Amino acid sequence: MDRDVRSVVRAFIATRLAPSAGRAEIADDEDLIDTGVVNSLGIFQLVAFLEERFQIAIGDEEITPENFGTIDGIERLVASRIAARAA
Amino acid sequence: MAYLLQQLLDVSADRHPDKPAVRARERSLTYAELHARSSQLAHLLRAQGVARGDRVGLFFPKAVESVVAMLGVLKAGAVYVPLDPHAPTRRLGAIAENCGISALVTTAERLRTLEPRALRCAVLVSGEPRAAHEIAWSALDAFPTSAPPDSGVETDLAYILYTSGSTGQPKGVMLTHRNALTFVDWCAATFVITADDRLSNHAPLHFDLSVFDIYNALGAGATVSLVHEELTVFPRRVADFIEQHGITVWYSVPSALVYLLLHADLAARDLDRLRLVLFAGEVFPMKYLQQLADLLPRAELYNLYGPTETNVCTYHHVDRWRLAGQDRLPIGRACANTEVLVLDADGRRVAPGEVGELYVRGPSVTPGYWGDAEKTRRALVPNPFQPHLDERLYRTGDLVTLDEHGELVFLGRRDNQVKSRGYRIELGDIEAALYAHPAVVEAAVVATRDEDLGSRLRAFVALKPGEDVTPASLQAHCAGLVPRYMVPETINVRDSLPKTSTGKTDRARLTAEGGV
Repeated sequence: MDRDVRSVVRAFIATRLAPSAGRAEIADDEDLIDTGVVNSLGIFQLVAFLEERFQIAIGDEEITPENFGTIDGIERLVASRIAARAA
Repeated sequence: MAYLLQQLLDVSADRHPDKPAVRARERSLTYAELHARSSQLAHLLRAQGVARGDRVGLFFPKAVESVVAMLGVLKAGAVYVPLDPHAPTRRLGAIAENCGISALVTTAERLRTLEPRALRCAVLVSGEPRAAHEIAWSALDAFPTSAPPDSGVETDLAYILYTSGSTGQPKGVMLTHRNALTFVDWCAATFVITADDRLSNHAPLHFDLSVFDIYNALGAGATVSLVHEELTVFPRRVADFIEQHGITVWYSVPSALVYLLLHADLAARDLDRLRLVLFAGEVFPMKYLQQLADLLPRAELYNLYGPTETNVCTYHHVDRWRLAGQDRLPIGRACANTEVLVLDADGRRVAPGEVGELYVRGPSVTPGYWGDAEKTRRALVPNPFQPHLDERLYRTGDLVTLDEHGELVFLGRRDNQVKSRGYRIELGDIEAALYAHPAVVEAAVVATRDEDLGSRLRAFVALKPGEDVTPASLQAHCAGLVPRYMVPETINVRDSLPKTSTGKTDRARLTAEGGV
């Protein structure tokens, strides 16, 4: 499951967000905010995509640099929301 | 009375030396410190040969040094050019080339990505110098903390702001000290900014909204808190910032306020100190404006209007009691010392209620575009109502009408310029980027209206036979040539683009038919 989340998140960032920021490759621990890959527009595209793709709810209070600063952080957030859904 | 922007700081540094002038990223500078540091920078720049009228690029993320650099350049008698820290290197290189940037205030890391050809010196706000023309920030310590004597006049350029141009080349709007001060003086009188105010700076520094924040704060002896780039991604953090900094005056594009409204739980916050909320740059969707007005019962709301070429030229005070019955928010009436005219295609005034193009004249209007006499001639036209004076009208390209209350209402554009989150975008600029790709034979970009953002950009391209290029790689190509906000959200590859009967690309059809 974890691998799936990671590869889906990676693919979305690589195809939908990174190209318009002029970036080809993004490492899983790379800062998505400093590099401009996730900007004020991209963050809500990303949230909408994650909610739809994984059938989870992400609250506004979860839209933080800790959760969205890296691919690792996004994966952790999604995994915790999936776990919450299952519980 | 100040006739140069830096004189606003002189007065406030004298009256309020120990008050915080600027805050950014958990750091702050008092008025005395800002005055001393910017004076040192001015001496250093002069020692490096920067002379009156020379262009100095500012190229680093927002920090307290941003304001030091602006004032330091002005005190040196030079002209600053704020460069978008997230813009593609090639575009920034074109700007540096266009206006002949001879000095930079930047970071060591960013300098490596740009290195303009005519560069004489680079002052580094962070990082280690590697060459003789690179100077560490600590070198400022050696220079006098009192300002060099002012030698400029009010018609000297203060800064150049680059904006999207229709042919793929950004154009540099030149603003003089008088242009900026006309606006700042009008603001001070209209909004009564005092030393007790705390202004935010949300807009990027290469965006003209920031002129309001910085210079109104300095002029009043108030504090300006810079919302740094990474913070703007997270609406709740921006709302925390407004609370923590006790912001009393906020100015931004409407979409930034809409993001706060939708995602920052404003109802649960203490925003009573916010006394003035100004917005400009695009149309505020009425349903959100009503919600904002309800959430901020104590704040006065104003819609400001003006292309970069005119600073702000009209304003409208939002009347809470009239809001429910309004389907469009007026852009309002002319600011002090500014005249606005609504003219038809033959240059005649139109009657109230009729549609015409908005023209602007007065001391806030730009003298023109840097190094582009042709574009300047087309945008600044002779004033037919003042045949005996060599006076120019700025042609905005905006279609407006005068309503029954004597206020102007914005209706649309007469060309292919659109707005997204307040940024001016020439669709031709993006099409030029697409055409620069070797596989592209036809390209058209259309904008569709979006409630929250202003507009969304969609591109349609036809490729050379046998070429196989993905939309993502075309986006990446665009990102190398135009800023992020101009990269189309979607790119549709077609065999060919639809044509009108006259053989032009049928934009209306592309706009209507959608695609992904």
